[in-house]
Amino acid sequence: MTNTPIGTQLGDEGLAQQPWWVEQWMELIQAYRFKKRLERAWEYARSGNVTSIRFEGRRVHARVQGSDEEPYKVKLWLDVLSDEDWGYVLDALSQKARWSAQLLAGLMPADIERAFAASGKRLFPFKLQEVRSECSCPDKANPCKHISAVFYLMGERFSEDPFVLFQLRGRTRAQLLGDLAKRRRRALARQARQARASGQEPAATEAAPPAVHAAITDPSRWWRYGAALDPDLVVITPALEGDTGLDAAGPLPLAEEPRFPEANRLFLEHIRAHGSHMASLALAQAMGNGQEQAGGNGSA
Amino acid sequence: MSLLHATWLFPPDGPGGRLFLWGDTWRVASPVEPEREAPAHPLALSADEVADWLDDNELWSEALRPARATLTLPSRSQAGRGRRSGDDSWSGLPLQAGEPIPKQLQWWPWQVEGWALDPAGAADWLSGLPLAAGHPEMADELRWWSHLQRWALSLIARGRWLPMIEDGRARWQPLLNREGDRRRLEELAMGIPQVATCALAAGLEGDPALACRRPGSGRLRVASLLAALLDGQLRAGFQSAPEGLDPLLLAWQKGLGKGDGSLRLDEEELERLTIATHHWREAVAGRVAPARACLELFTPPEGQELWELSFSLQAEADPSLRLPAAAAWDAGDRTLQLGEVAVPQPSELLLEGLGRALSVFEPIERGLDSATPEGMQLTPAEAFVLVRTAAAQLRDVGVGVVLPGSLSGGLASRLGLAVTAELPERSRGFTLGESLVWSWEFMIGGVTLNLRELERLQTKRSPLVQHRGVWIELRPSDLRNAERFCNADPGLSLDDALRLTASEGDTFHRLPVHAFTAGPRLQAVLEQYHQQKAPDPLPAPPGFSGQLRPYQERGLGWLAFLHRFDQGACLADDMGLGKTIQLLAFLQHLKAEEELKRPVLLVAPTSVLTNWKREAAAFTPDLGVREHYGPRRAASEAALKKALKGVDLVLTSYGLLQRDSELLESIDWQGLVIDEAQAIKNPQAKQSMAARDLARAGNGGGRGSRASRGSRFRIALTGTPVENRVGELWALMDFLNPMVLGDEAFFHQRYRLPIERYGDMASLRDLKARVGPFILRRLKTDKSIISDLPEKVELQEWVGLSPEQRKLYTRTVEESLDTIARAPLGQKHGQVLALLTKLKQVCNHPALALGESSDAALTGNGSGEFAARSAKLQRLEEILEEVIEAGDRALLFTQFAEWGHLLKAHLQRRWRQEVPFLYGNTSKGERQAMVDRFQEDPRGPQLFLLSLKAGGVGLNLTRASHVFHIDRWWNPAVENQATDRAYRIGQQNRVLVHKFITSSSVEERIDRMIREKSRLAEEIVGSGEEWLGGLDMGQLRDLVALGDADA
Repeated sequence: MTNTPIGTQLGDEGLAQQPWWVEQWMELIQAYRFKKRLERAWEYARSGNVTSIRFEGRRVHARVQGSDEEPYKVKLWLDVLSDEDWGYVLDALSQKARWSAQLLAGLMPADIERAFAASGKRLFPFKLQEVRSECSCPDKANPCKHISAVFYLMGERFSEDPFVLFQLRGRTRAQLLGDLAKRRRRALARQARQARASGQEPAATEAAPPAVHAAITDPSRWWRYGAALDPDLVVITPALEGDTGLDAAGPLPLAEEPRFPEANRLFLEHIRAHGSHMASLALAQAMGNGQEQAGGNGSA
Repeated sequence: MSLLHATWLFPPDGPGGRLFLWGDTWRVASPVEPEREAPAHPLALSADEVADWLDDNELWSEALRPARATLTLPSRSQAGRGRRSGDDSWSGLPLQAGEPIPKQLQWWPWQVEGWALDPAGAADWLSGLPLAAGHPEMADELRWWSHLQRWALSLIARGRWLPMIEDGRARWQPLLNREGDRRRLEELAMGIPQVATCALAAGLEGDPALACRRPGSGRLRVASLLAALLDGQLRAGFQSAPEGLDPLLLAWQKGLGKGDGSLRLDEEELERLTIATHHWREAVAGRVAPARACLELFTPPEGQELWELSFSLQAEADPSLRLPAAAAWDAGDRTLQLGEVAVPQPSELLLEGLGRALSVFEPIERGLDSATPEGMQLTPAEAFVLVRTAAAQLRDVGVGVVLPGSLSGGLASRLGLAVTAELPERSRGFTLGESLVWSWEFMIGGVTLNLRELERLQTKRSPLVQHRGVWIELRPSDLRNAERFCNADPGLSLDDALRLTASEGDTFHRLPVHAFTAGPRLQAVLEQYHQQKAPDPLPAPPGFSGQLRPYQERGLGWLAFLHRFDQGACLADDMGLGKTIQLLAFLQHLKAEEELKRPVLLVAPTSVLTNWKREAAAFTPDLGVREHYGPRRAASEAALKKALKGVDLVLTSYGLLQRDSELLESIDWQGLVIDEAQAIKNPQAKQSMAARDLARAGNGGGRGSRASRGSRFRIALTGTPVENRVGELWALMDFLNPMVLGDEAFFHQRYRLPIERYGDMASLRDLKARVGPFILRRLKTDKSIISDLPEKVELQEWVGLSPEQRKLYTRTVEESLDTIARAPLGQKHGQVLALLTKLKQVCNHPALALGESSDAALTGNGSGEFAARSAKLQRLEEILEEVIEAGDRALLFTQFAEWGHLLKAHLQRRWRQEVPFLYGNTSKGERQAMVDRFQEDPRGPQLFLLSLKAGGVGLNLTRASHVFHIDRWWNPAVENQATDRAYRIGQQNRVLVHKFITSSSVEERIDRMIREKSRLAEEIVGSGEEWLGGLDMGQLRDLVALGDADA
């Protein structure tokens, strides 16, 4: 597995490489029967009629510019899992450390639904009908084209933050992580009990008293610095090709506004150009540093 | 002297801040009682003074803005004095850098004014500071700051940053996920002088509140300082390019440019941008935390195939500090203690790290299937991937990896050699090219193997193989190198042995030498060569009239040892340890062994030639010594050869070495000694080239060379710490042993540039290892020396007279003797006294005798010209140079107030530091201030001039470890009393007493009288100069007449 670039490009040819959970969302939409309406929604989304999408608690609020002067207000939400269901999900989630590990590292685990299967529920809606929606437009059909346009754009918004889906299902990031930590501790205590029962003593970890800062016990550290320059900083080197932080981070995980299809790329290109300009300035400055000094010694 | 400081001013909230420059100096200040506000720092420079300082040092920047700050400084407290007893009122003074730390210490806030720079300006300003050796008026933390900025530059050059949203602002953020950068953060956080961040967070005008800043656990603080510098620089040059951006990115881009990074976005959008950028960064680098996730690989248990991989938390500060994963799971979101390091939220930290590890090293997925995994097993193939490639990638994403020692990728895990060697039976072991008796085995990961075993392991097709119980990684190139080595079947010379044992990781025919076992005889030679043990002492040779202290015997043994190797030697003992004596003993040793067949040439500054002659006469009367100096020196080859009959040691000056170079080259010297060897430090200078040419001429042709010309031994003497003066080492080593440092261009590139410009320690260590065997430097403070030395060492500094002094001296004597002879008895005494005074003045300096004002004597001329007029002053300067270099302090006594004034002006100009002068007219208040400053100021003056009468009694000046008696007084008791200003209770060092004596002059006669305690002296010297009137003309002439200079 690599760091899949999770940015997406909404182009005419369709979708570029997507994280799987965005793709899954898109498939959900594509399965919708009324193709004509979808096409119009797609047009709406591409031309930037969706002016805002906000996640507020368990709901999504969006504004879509329709034929009316005022934008229509769109609300979307999913069925929230009950506390009992969450209990099952969390029990299952805490079984595998990998799920927490990946979520914490900003990735949606590919087999996340297995954890939800424990409660008989799902994280992703199975059908579009499971996504509840309201639109302030006069159109009676649901989903209307405004709602569908928001659908299109929401997939990408998931890629900005995998925890958003959990939030729509009723658990914030902090709640989720806290609950998981609690369950891990419980599991550990259980293990310890079993170990004791079988006669093994677990290694005790004792907390040492907080350390006093070294400068208090050795006040000369208030002033003294005797270290020489780190040898690795003696000669300052440029990055290897493709080895900058920008290269490693990849595309921005920001959903693009269809009106500005190139925005993410343009933004990063500009940042990148600035970075390489600054890098060459830094190299020049680093080489110049100390020049005078060494020269001065030489003539002395 | 004042000291410049730099402290970061944190804003009351949020990132950023400013670099605040301020200074302090030593002055008399009375303790301050705190009031409602933090008191003004009584020793701090005013803003104007700081500005002047910056201006003087060419460090003023237009970006500097006036600022104030409240700094928390360790302070010396004094309990409330008297008036209201029982009241615990407090008063105190802030401590200064370098001051001894008192037992009772408090931290108090002090207000200081100075100048501040915004982060971009600070980065620019810091880039201009020296990275290496200290400027005496810059506090340590400035170097810390310049190192931090150097790191920021490196991060920018390597593109290790991302634009981010932090606390609702657009920021350029450093990425510290790489192994090297993490280590550096730890080092800078460990090393940070607290004064760099001791300011109370406040607005622009400072906060006078009576509050202190706690010393911080450095990591986060240092990371935020680094972030501020990096952000300042990247932000300063950033121009927006608004084409084609949506409003969100547009606002972000705008925020990344000039300004405080604030974003024009509503809360929702800001939140969205924050979360998205957070995840963007997450995949590259974790947050700055005190610990990280760590994977530790263990080799399979005997007979099994699978490798163990265990999960743990590893302290950033100390990679050896690890806690098993179980402890982290157990702690949950409580803080976990890892040694001294507190780790908040350990389980999330571990999980997040494992998540990132998973994206680099897929096999881990298996290991994370349980709720609280503590480890997993790897197949041999997976283990190999981890060892070979994934370990580095994991470290790059901030996950620690610990591999078994034999696979850790260090030098020991590479195929190399284990060598066993000994000197051949018959050998005396004294020629470098000599072949040793030796054997070898291949060695990898700490185990040895032969070529056949190597080939057998290679056929296993597994890159990780087990050999004699140790797992090793074989690389394809290893076998090739091994075969090549076997085919070459090289010999090992003594020279190779010296090199291979000098430093770790040296290679022999491309293979690193992991182990070197020397036989007992070779070991003895190596140990002595590398100075791992003290040189074997050699007792004073027969014919040496004097005693050698134990360390001098060792010095003599060392000189003889290197001489047997035909290696040049530099004896760089501290001043006062008797380099002259050791060298003379060495020559006498050669003579006694009948090895001294040809004359030895000793080159020294003119000012010490007299001293050499005196010492040689005293200690080695058997040596035939001759000066090649002065207008009557031999001018032709024939004359010189004739003059050298029966001569063992020829003394000449650096000037003549150059001028008479052809003549000197015509002689077949047995050896060449240069005294005050720093004289040849500049490779381009003529005297340096002449000395090096002459050192090498031993094997060359040249006019009148004989077929059997032997090589020449080379010895350099110096009291300066040569090994620390990188720029000066090359010429010295080129003189001693030209092969050691290669040619000058190579030396410049390889050593001088990296060390001097960037303070590169690795190059410096390598350089020291190379030159170490040839330099012997002992300090007065060395434990092994201290026991050998008396607490007070008296040194006679013999000096001659400059031509001007000589002329003036002779004329004065002639004129005065006539007058005195004709004077009526009543006036005779006064006139004799006047004559003696005048002569002593001439010995000091002609300007003193001629009554020149300091303005007239010093202005217009360079200080060199002024010094050139007096041989005594020249010598004094040479010694003071060493004193100042060593950071020691000295008292200089003279009986002439006018000389004190002249000398004060001259010395101040020469060393650009204040030299106080205490004499009869100094007021009582000034006197106390001078003494306090000399004793207390951490950066106070190093030289203190005193008149013998005013300064000779009552003062306590124990900070001085040198006492100079520039001119002699009749009564030794007076001199001793003066000496005791430094040599008294409270003195913690050896005291060196330098007594200057102008040879052949009245000064020498006085000295002789004092020393021989002759009847004349005992009877009449008494305590004054009354006896002078009683001298008859013959006695008087004997006393004052200038002796023969060549005698």
